Amino acid sequence: MHKIDNKKKRPAFFYACLFFLSAIGLGGCEMIEFHPYDLDIDGETGINAKNIERIETALKGKNEFSFVFISDTQRWYDETEDAVAAINRLEDIDFVIHGGDLSDFGMKLEFEQQRDILNKLRVPYVCLLGNHDCLATGEKVFLTVFGERDFSFNAGNTHFVCLNTNALEFDYSEAIPDFAYIENDLNGLPEKITRTVTVMHAAPFTEQFNNNIARVFQHYIKEYPALQFCLAGHTHNLTVENTFDDGTLYYTAPSIKKRTLMHFTFTSNGYSYETIPF
Amino acid sequence: MRRYLFNILACLLLSAFPIGTFAQTSDSPGATPLRRWDKRTHPKYAGWERLCPTHAKFQYAGGMGVSSFGVGWDYGKRRQWETDFLAGFLPSKYADKFRLTFTVKQNYIPWSMSFNEHWALEPFYCGLYVTTIAGEEFWEKEPGRYPNRYYNFSTKLRPYIFIGQRMNFNLKNSLVKHVSLFYEVNTCELYLISKFTNKTLKMKDILRFSFGAKVQLFKD
Repeated sequence: MHKIDNKKKRPAFFYACLFFLSAIGLGGCEMIEFHPYDLDIDGETGINAKNIERIETALKGKNEFSFVFISDTQRWYDETEDAVAAINRLEDIDFVIHGGDLSDFGMKLEFEQQRDILNKLRVPYVCLLGNHDCLATGEKVFLTVFGERDFSFNAGNTHFVCLNTNALEFDYSEAIPDFAYIENDLNGLPEKITRTVTVMHAAPFTEQFNNNIARVFQHYIKEYPALQFCLAGHTHNLTVENTFDDGTLYYTAPSIKKRTLMHFTFTSNGYSYETIPF
Repeated sequence: MRRYLFNILACLLLSAFPIGTFAQTSDSPGATPLRRWDKRTHPKYAGWERLCPTHAKFQYAGGMGVSSFGVGWDYGKRRQWETDFLAGFLPSKYADKFRLTFTVKQNYIPWSMSFNEHWALEPFYCGLYVTTIAGEEFWEKEPGRYPNRYYNFSTKLRPYIFIGQRMNFNLKNSLVKHVSLFYEVNTCELYLISKFTNKTLKMKDILRFSFGAKVQLFKD
């Protein structure tokens, strides 16, 4: 009788141990999530700072370089993968700028996935903050994974100033765009800088921009040495506009779903621009 | 997306409906036929006892915070249905500030395999839950500053679906009837949408594991 009891008990214990061990084994740490908007971030952080250093070192003293501008890759992982593959096939590319909206819902998972895809690029890249990236805890994740809202870097003699222009996300209650940042950046410009490019997520006169100060913004960015043009995303459509009728072109990138790259090439006496379908 | 959310909430409410109806069957306690494996029966409480929770639960992870605690009610002839109300938290280590969460969870446990007087396995169960989180940065409806239907989803309410397994250990105790340990594999609606529209996202990217325990309370 005693023996039979033992036999009966064994499968139960066996199952109990087996299913918990298998669950833990299958799961692993990455598949345990406290909340989709928590700040328990896996993988690489501080991308922009590291990549800016790579760009500045590689292009030191150079007047000639080329870069690709992409934007609005949110929830288009397939297309973003294809874009990365297409950029890696291009020769003589020095860096990539992402105009923001890496995420659609501001969820941690989206930033991690996009980062992992963009990390497959052969060349360094920097990312701007998009309006979708500000949702819920999105901005905090962005600050950790990528970096500051406003930042700038030098590609040889050309200064790239990347500005947060998503005023609507902050209910117009914060200094967006941040003129203090622009002033400080201008004051600290190295002497070698002879040209400037301004990059933002939402261009002036989109609903995200603080349009009351659109003209002030334009006035400020024209203080930079030889402003070449401005880059933006957000609208998901490729446009080239002389927004303020002052000769400053605003290039707006299509969303990655449209499968088109914007490629800019700088020579010592100017720049050229082409679109590359992929 | 909003309509989708409402559908899920409606399903939850409908599935919770038997709470009110199981009392009608309480006149025939011998109604649950004996089965070879499934030894579950519902004790059919009467009167005010029905209001007392039948179990308490603890859950680790699962999109409802680091830990959640709560109580619930089971119903159905074989207690196949459980509705839980869980409160959880996200410590400041994993969020900007300490955040509270609240979850309504509906479980369907179709089968039970009883091995002996102590051990039983519930080899498969499934369900859905909606979890909400406190904090100004999360909104149920877009704040007024946005144009109409600008984002068209809620950052505060998150519906989940899950499947799981559970192991029960029956005690001969007047306070605690049995203790169960469970694990679940879950995903939320935004992860599903992302997976459906992208081949490159793997199941591993959207599925999440959670663990927990259930304590069946004193009522018998």
